[in-house]
Amino acid sequence: MSASVMLFYYLWIAPHVLEGIVLYAMVRRGLHRQFPMFFLYISFEIAQCFCLLAVSQYVSYFGQVYIQVYAVGLAVSTSIRFAVIYELFCHFFRRYPAISGAGKLLFRGASLALLLIALGLAVSAPGNTPAAPLNDATYVALRTTTFAADRAVSILQGGLLISLFLFSRYFVLSWRSPAFGIALGMGTFAIAEFATTALRLYVPISNKVFDRSAMGIYHLCVLIWILYVVRPEPEFRFELKSLPTYDLEIWNQELERLLQQ
Amino acid sequence: MIITLILVSVALLALGFLIRLAKGRALPAQVLENPTEHMRAVDLEAFRNLVDPEEEEFLRTNLPSSEFRRIQRERLRAAVEYVSCAAQNAAVLLRLADAGRRSPDPATAEAAEKLVQNALRLRLYALQAIPKLYLGMVLPGARISPVGIADRYEQMTRLVVLLGCLQYPTRGVSAAL
Repeated sequence: MSASVMLFYYLWIAPHVLEGIVLYAMVRRGLHRQFPMFFLYISFEIAQCFCLLAVSQYVSYFGQVYIQVYAVGLAVSTSIRFAVIYELFCHFFRRYPAISGAGKLLFRGASLALLLIALGLAVSAPGNTPAAPLNDATYVALRTTTFAADRAVSILQGGLLISLFLFSRYFVLSWRSPAFGIALGMGTFAIAEFATTALRLYVPISNKVFDRSAMGIYHLCVLIWILYVVRPEPEFRFELKSLPTYDLEIWNQELERLLQQ
Repeated sequence: MIITLILVSVALLALGFLIRLAKGRALPAQVLENPTEHMRAVDLEAFRNLVDPEEEEFLRTNLPSSEFRRIQRERLRAAVEYVSCAAQNAAVLLRLADAGRRSPDPATAEAAEKLVQNALRLRLYALQAIPKLYLGMVLPGARISPVGIADRYEQMTRLVVLLGCLQYPTRGVSAAL
């Protein structure tokens, strides 16, 4: 087995084995109840990996059956990823009712705007399909559609997560570690996918290179999830040493007013 | 090819943003060790005066049109500065109160929760008010009165006092928050 093939199998199997650690840590910390969609996503990814592995070894190598199973798996996985993003939005704004209305507005507005951008790019992009091992029209169409859909979805998912990060940054909202890690991993994956699909369209580099980079990035995302899910949430304590002098007077006035009530 | 370059640049920028986020949050922990350094003075009376519709009407009727526009622009520029200061203070208080929400004392946790929600509302108002104030600078004739910010800021300071008293009952207000 050549080094390239070994790297391929490592990048394919290792992240999914590591995802087992994510599942274990989630159950142990009770996070599977807080993030059921993410738990489902990780479980599905593991199942899909081993299903595809079985198909590639025993049914059709990387031929038509493999691509069909891959496309169905990708569609399901993508839907669950949307559910994970929605879950992150809900989890986040549940803690801050004062801005939950603005958050919902942001989710809808950003979804609509990103959908329009994704559609615009899908229409304007050339239908550059990666070289197919079989000259089958259905096979080529399926791969084209899969890549086009993947690109549109990456824009939507990456954009939604960036909107959430920007929103939380403006409002100085604190992220609980696992939620931050999940969003960071998802965001990195979506953005990297977006960059890879954009390059794949125009840059004449072997698809193997793109595939290996996408797999490597996914590996990195799994490591991010492990880091944030396994690591205990830091306890935060503070004690103020001094009071701003300019606010002292008004604060004392307010205290007197409160005491008089 | 240009589209690819744009898309890849956008993706790289987004990745850089995510890495920056992973390295540090909007307000670092050091802010919480000494928040007073990061808070800025807000003179509520002066702000109220700046955005008071009656004051504006008075100036409009008593000054020549060009002079009114110039003064109104200056007033609104100052108002933007006040709103930004209030929003900055709200951000610092938000981080402090967010930590207070985890207090084992229910009264402290409740006061911290109220402070968080008020500070968030204030930042939301600031987000809406600042573009309006800039619009007012472009169109000095337009009537803009974001007085709600001042009220919200006042409510917030009241909650700061309450939270401080609950957290440090024996040390008084000066040790509060």
